[in-house]
Amino acid sequence: MKKIIASFLSIAMLMGLLCGCGAGGQGLTEEEKNTIVIWHDKEEAVAEALLAQLQESVPDVDVQLEHKSNLTEALKMVGNDPKAAPDLYFFAHDKIGVYAEMGILTPITELIPKENLEKAYVGMTLDAATYKGEIYQLPIYFETLLFMYNRLYMPDERVPATTEELYAYMSEKTRGGHYGFVEQHSTAYYSAGWIHGFGGYIMNGEGEVGLENPETIAALTYHKKFVELMPGESEYATVNTLFQEGKAHATIGGPWMVSASRTAGMDLGIAPMPVIDETGLPISPYMGVQGVQVLKYAAENKREAVVKVLSGLMQPEVGIALAKVSGCAPAVEACYEREEVTSDDVVMAMRQTAENTIPMPNCPEMDIMWTVAADMLVNINMSGQDVKASCEAAQQSAEDLIRKMQ
Amino acid sequence: MTKQFKKVVTVLLAFTMMFFAFMSMQVKAQEERSAVYVNPPEDWSDPFLWAWDEEGNNAFASWPGGEMEADPDNEGWYYIWIPSWADHMIVSAGEGIQTGELIKEDGNVWITIADMENAELSQDALTDGEIPAYVEKFKIHVSAPESWESPTFTYSADENVSKALKMGDDGWYTGNVPVDAGSFTISGSAEGQETESIATDPAEVWITIEEDESFDFTYNDPNAIQAPDINVNVTVPGDWDTPCLWAWSAPDGTNAFTSWPGEAFAEGEEGWLSLQVPGWINSIIVSANEGNVQTTDISVETGKDVWITISGSEEYEVSYEAVEVQATEEAKEADEADSAETAEEPEQAETPVQTQEEEKSGTNVGAITVIVVICIIIAVLAIFFARKKKK
Repeated sequence: MKKIIASFLSIAMLMGLLCGCGAGGQGLTEEEKNTIVIWHDKEEAVAEALLAQLQESVPDVDVQLEHKSNLTEALKMVGNDPKAAPDLYFFAHDKIGVYAEMGILTPITELIPKENLEKAYVGMTLDAATYKGEIYQLPIYFETLLFMYNRLYMPDERVPATTEELYAYMSEKTRGGHYGFVEQHSTAYYSAGWIHGFGGYIMNGEGEVGLENPETIAALTYHKKFVELMPGESEYATVNTLFQEGKAHATIGGPWMVSASRTAGMDLGIAPMPVIDETGLPISPYMGVQGVQVLKYAAENKREAVVKVLSGLMQPEVGIALAKVSGCAPAVEACYEREEVTSDDVVMAMRQTAENTIPMPNCPEMDIMWTVAADMLVNINMSGQDVKASCEAAQQSAEDLIRKMQ
Repeated sequence: MTKQFKKVVTVLLAFTMMFFAFMSMQVKAQEERSAVYVNPPEDWSDPFLWAWDEEGNNAFASWPGGEMEADPDNEGWYYIWIPSWADHMIVSAGEGIQTGELIKEDGNVWITIADMENAELSQDALTDGEIPAYVEKFKIHVSAPESWESPTFTYSADENVSKALKMGDDGWYTGNVPVDAGSFTISGSAEGQETESIATDPAEVWITIEEDESFDFTYNDPNAIQAPDINVNVTVPGDWDTPCLWAWSAPDGTNAFTSWPGEAFAEGEEGWLSLQVPGWINSIIVSANEGNVQTTDISVETGKDVWITISGSEEYEVSYEAVEVQATEEAKEADEADSAETAEEPEQAETPVQTQEEEKSGTNVGAITVIVVICIIIAVLAIFFARKKKK
């Protein structure tokens, strides 16, 4: 009797599994299996370059790029629906955790051998692409903040090597409506560089909140004297305009500022991040890696085409072309053997700065941290509240929100 | 790639990085320039050049444009460097003295002016020797004590250069200093009337000198028209306690208040909450409940009183005319109703993972039904076989 029941149960389970899996996989024509839809949120130039490269490297796969302005929300809504979801999406690494937890992503190592990835990529880009031990992103290019200066005001020999030199420079030059240095001091993405330079963190790779850690408190306490020499309002437009209109000598900004500064006729300098005197570590900003993630359905039902596309994306030419149009640094190590990359001072500066960057945490809880940390920074830098008390309150708030989230 | 090649690449990369570590990088955007020489009539003094292109791009920020310099090696000739794209020009020399529109071809040009209606352009050099090199300069505006008659400014180039400052219509003296001069001094005509070395950024600057030779400077034009103070009037949702105003000027980031969240509103007229702020602000945020709620950045026009009906963080109406209180309250109620509806939408969007899981479980209903049916069949069969065995 037991045998009969066991047999029935096995059949039942098998049927259940087949019912669960069969819905999408069946009925795909050869043409459909060979069509890869990639969602992205990039500017037209990047998309065009990506498509051109893929058409050249994998001409037998029909790659279709679709721009989604609200990509992250759209993926959350339809990521599980093969009829509505893309096969791949091209986005920053910091959302990997969200979609991995949703169960809609396939580890890249199921499609490309891990050792091939390790051979091909700049190591830190794979670190950024890893969530809970699995690599979920094929990196394309990475970006980080840079120390930029206007050489009309700040000659090369005055570029501060340390933060105390920077402070002395700011004290001397911040006068009459001009600033020695400006940054988005009360935005978490920018403050993180100072926090990391003290060994602190907003959230670490294990998803632990570090706002009330002594290192974080020390960083924000030290940072305050710099904030006092910057405009109170430090939103993106303000900082960019001050720098590009020649009202600020130096800034920490993204590679996206390079082109606009050049166009404005600025004699732009890019230098390594100043070293924090207190710790001997440089200001260490976050690094963001843009790359391609594969949805489970596509990996299971269009494997051959997906592997072809991923292999195509691993070619150095793709990384170089995309890095050029995006102003970022290619993730494929072999690109740095090519003259067109090594001769690009901005890309090389990014490559160098990236040695001291921290990949943006990619766990879902990080979503909460941006707002909590920003509120904390406003309290400290703009409302003049006590640093320690603000950090402790923010820690509590973050932990409460994360508990609710779970 | 062989191991040796990898090593070479690594070393090269390391050298490149060291290079960047020790040598800061620079990207220079140099603009091509053309020299414009002018030989004006003898009774024209201190000529200026105004230049533009067909698309309407101006080479200079304001009329009369760039001040031309006398060429010491060519008496009667003045020169200036302009961007090569600027091919339309007017030469002027004070109120009512100017040429008509002159159009040049690519390259340097020599203009001989007979009078305001007659000027000849030549692509061939009409001066002797080399054209003085282009030197980028910035303008200084100086307000000196009355006792400092005919002030001059002195900077150090290859040798000390002293030049007279020229009085402008606005009562400020002006002069042009090379950007690489580093510093300069300003002197009066009497002995001892001299400032210490003034080191400003090489950018247009306004310097005020006191009788005791002390000075201060600003990069913001003090003559710019100051907008009078304005009143910001708001109504906020009923559950917004102690609303505060944060105001600033974008994009320069100058704040009206020293620290966030700014200043609390006072009771104004006819049910409005009001606060007076400098007229130059153009951006505000209204926050309440000790910063727990706030609006997004709201852009307002400078120099105008403003009435803002706020019904949510992102829902507000801006008016530059007083709105009737009753109408305002009605609008508020309507907006509150709207915002109550819309407030639920983001909440749904905030929990998309849950939504997705719900959807996921919805798609599995068929499979679960099949399993349940099979389980029932198994149970029935089990009971049947059990009874049969007992028999």
